[in-house]
Amino acid sequence: MKSNIQKFIYTLALSIVIFSCQKEDNIISSNSLDGLSKLKEGYAIGASAKVEIWGKKNFFVGYNNLVVVLYDSLNLKEKITDAHIHFMPLMTMSMMGQMPMVHAAPVENPSETPVNDVFPGAVAFIMPSTETGVWQLRVAVHNHKYDKEGTASFNINVDSPTNSSLTVFTTTTDSLKLVLSMVQPTTPKVGMNDIEFTIHQKAGMMDFPADDSYAIEITPEMPSMGHGSPNNVNPTNTGNGHYKGKVNFTMTGEWKINVVVKKNGVAVSQNLYFNVVI
Amino acid sequence: MKKYFLLSLILIFSEFAHAETIDTTKMTCTCVDLEEVNISANLPLNDNKVAGFFRTNQFASMDNINARLEGMSLIKRGAYAMEPQLNGFSGGQINATIDGMKMFGACTDKMDPITSYIEPTNLKTLTISQGTSGCQNGCSLGGTFDMTLQEPDSKGLIPFYSSLGFGYESISRSKNVLFLSGFSHQKWAFGVEGVYRKNENYKTGENVTIPFSQFQKANLHSVLKYKPNSKSTFKADFLLDDARNVGYPALPMDVGVARASLFALEYTHQGKIQTKAKMYVNSILHVMDDSQRDSLYILKTKPVGKSDTVFMRMDMPGKSSTLGAYLQFVIPWNNRNKLMLKVDNYTNRSLAEMTMHMRYAGFAPELPMYMQTWPENLRNVSGIFIQNSTYVSENLRMTVDGRIDYNIDRLQSKYGQEQASIFNYNLSKQQSKLIKSINFSTQYQLVSELSILANIGYSERMPTVGERLGYYLYNAYDGYDYIGNPYLKAENSKFARLSLTYSKSNLQLNISQSFSFVNDYIMGITNSEIPAMNFYAKGIRVYSNVPSAKLYSTDLQLLYSPTKNLTTFLLSKFTYGELSAREPLPLISPLKNTIVVEYHKKTFSAQGECESALAQNRINTAYNETSTPGFTVFNLKSNYSISSQHATLDLSVGITNLFNKIYYEHLDWGRINRPGRSINLFVNYSY
Ligand SMILES: [Cu+2]
Repeated sequence: MKSNIQKFIYTLALSIVIFSCQKEDNIISSNSLDGLSKLKEGYAIGASAKVEIWGKKNFFVGYNNLVVVLYDSLNLKEKITDAHIHFMPLMTMSMMGQMPMVHAAPVENPSETPVNDVFPGAVAFIMPSTETGVWQLRVAVHNHKYDKEGTASFNINVDSPTNSSLTVFTTTTDSLKLVLSMVQPTTPKVGMNDIEFTIHQKAGMMDFPADDSYAIEITPEMPSMGHGSPNNVNPTNTGNGHYKGKVNFTMTGEWKINVVVKKNGVAVSQNLYFNVVI
Repeated sequence: MKKYFLLSLILIFSEFAHAETIDTTKMTCTCVDLEEVNISANLPLNDNKVAGFFRTNQFASMDNINARLEGMSLIKRGAYAMEPQLNGFSGGQINATIDGMKMFGACTDKMDPITSYIEPTNLKTLTISQGTSGCQNGCSLGGTFDMTLQEPDSKGLIPFYSSLGFGYESISRSKNVLFLSGFSHQKWAFGVEGVYRKNENYKTGENVTIPFSQFQKANLHSVLKYKPNSKSTFKADFLLDDARNVGYPALPMDVGVARASLFALEYTHQGKIQTKAKMYVNSILHVMDDSQRDSLYILKTKPVGKSDTVFMRMDMPGKSSTLGAYLQFVIPWNNRNKLMLKVDNYTNRSLAEMTMHMRYAGFAPELPMYMQTWPENLRNVSGIFIQNSTYVSENLRMTVDGRIDYNIDRLQSKYGQEQASIFNYNLSKQQSKLIKSINFSTQYQLVSELSILANIGYSERMPTVGERLGYYLYNAYDGYDYIGNPYLKAENSKFARLSLTYSKSNLQLNISQSFSFVNDYIMGITNSEIPAMNFYAKGIRVYSNVPSAKLYSTDLQLLYSPTKNLTTFLLSKFTYGELSAREPLPLISPLKNTIVVEYHKKTFSAQGECESALAQNRINTAYNETSTPGFTVFNLKSNYSISSQHATLDLSVGITNLFNKIYYEHLDWGRINRPGRSINLFVNYSY
């Protein structure tokens, strides 16, 4: 009888132990190139630098996080960690019987001090590559190591995603052209997501300054069921044309984020939305 | 043997009372007898003398029996699987167990109370403890409901016995087959029983067919017992219950499959110290089905740019499995005191999912919309229970008991945390909570016929997984989507009960009064900030602790036999509930009476039953309640047995709802009328 009780207690304890085991969360890697792939590589002639451009996926219409990795072109091993980098995206649109039209796109140049030896920055491509419209991405490098300057040019193909995360619209009040990009969420999930936008004004064909003077309101919606989600936080300006907030998705499926851009409390946009698929 | 398994009404008399010293044994026995003949809720169902009162016919369902128990009401969503409510308490407030084993339904909408997985043929005893008392199987505010499973009957000299019955109920063309068989040989005994039921849609008193009131199910239980010596017993139980195509007319969907399986091993030892050890595992699969329902009804407003024709289906499977064990000792440590000690542990894993598929005519199907209505969670509860009974004198016994449960909830995926983040809940992967219960009771025998039983107690209860983590659970009663709240405090109650019993040879009378003062009462409170998810939902309610609620119940039971051949039985139950602001508590039954007159002579018996309820006008309109008119319904039945030396043939004929009354009860969701007049036939052959 004693041994039966012992067996029993053992089983009781076992039942606790079995159900106590649980998976631990993965540790996030600190390598800043993780999950990225090399999109382009070339030489910035004159700067003694090899330029690599890394991104999550190929260039697309929208806000592209791009990471520049510089190598000393003399030994191709040593990373250049002190440099000035300028993005210069350039689209050339050839039109029948007319002079080609050239325009740029909003950019965020990397800072002089690298993050883990690489230079993160961003370009918001405002239209896709077409047969008549060709994108070139120029990367100007000022290599502080040798104090030399040069530019690498890449012919790139800008994809057009099914659900665009960028829109160019004209304000209803003062007819300014604004570029609105949804930076985040890039991989939306059920639950609370960071949502981030950038606003750049199209001041000229080659001039897209960041604009911090607007307010953004968001309303997520599931069109097929006609419901929204609670506790969304409207993005607020965090400087450099960025606006950060929170968006909630209650289930997987096809969502739509309705966006109203306001200036001084007055809506300047009409019928803006981004489709999101979870 | 029966008495061994009969736990007493309130004092939780242990089943091991017989091992005590002489003076306590005497009192124990009278008390047990007292409770038994009083037709308290804990009657052994295989005692034909009293069980008859609780079965409208011999193939009664659990619901038929429950409806006639003290303090018990049933919340009805369909013709099957009614949810028990004890003195106004239900769901997580009451504790339903199978011989102390925990089992949790897998339906987010409470379509599968665990009583739906048990059939009367499976039952040996059914024990109800009221209020906070009866924390032997877990802390509970509203009472506990413990069902013990049938054991092989080793009666007489015949080692093998069998019984086969067929039943038919005209109103739903209900076909029922039951069988029972047993075998015992030396130290071994084996028993098996099974039921198959198939009901079609029933008709109401006005001859209207209620669509989606059909169901079919099969249930099988087998038990193997081994007695190596006179003191020790090993027992293994296996139960399988499988219901298919169960309609729920009051809900927007039905059930495709509801399946439960249970496996249990038990060891008991009847020495100076009584030992009982049990290990069990059970699992439930519940798959809801809306494929028979019109999918257009869900569209309140048509989304822009979509055609009128919409196809919408929801897949809603739920799973719940429990692994547990307990170990219990009864120690008579001197001739006046008896100590009972129990340690238990169980782990319940639950997950309920919902995937909506939508397709508009002329459009490609939309992407599936998936969510976890109960995110996968593991709840482990470890408990310890101590009870001491003191036999102060022959007429006075005092009992004190207490329990502590340590509860740990562990989310099994990040998904649950992410869903919770939508409501700004910062949910850690693991949460724990300690809950407790303490009770005192006194039983005093004033004179030989009259005894008084008083209880006071305090208990807390853990919020259920649905109340903590539920995610857009549509409640068809009030029309709101319910959302869980991980910050809920434990609901707690102060409880007092006074019960008076008068017992003479041909008259037994019991009156009892219960008061519960509940704090941090858990109920859904409207939150207009959160938009509803379902098209048909009115809004959102979040489970919240409201400051207080009061519940009062009184029951009267009277059993009187004026002559040798005539017995009458009266059961009266009444509950009153109010919230702190004096509003009525929703879903409270009005005063209900059941009167039974039975005539029996030799092997013939006839019984007339009158069920009646007053109107319920104390309603809570915020919870979509409407008044319910009173009703009176009459039922008749008769039984005749023909016995030969080894075999018995039972023939029964009955009529329920004799006058074809059109009625529904207050706890019936959807105010759907109950069945009209039905003729019931039953044949049972046993040898
Ligand atoms: Cu269900």
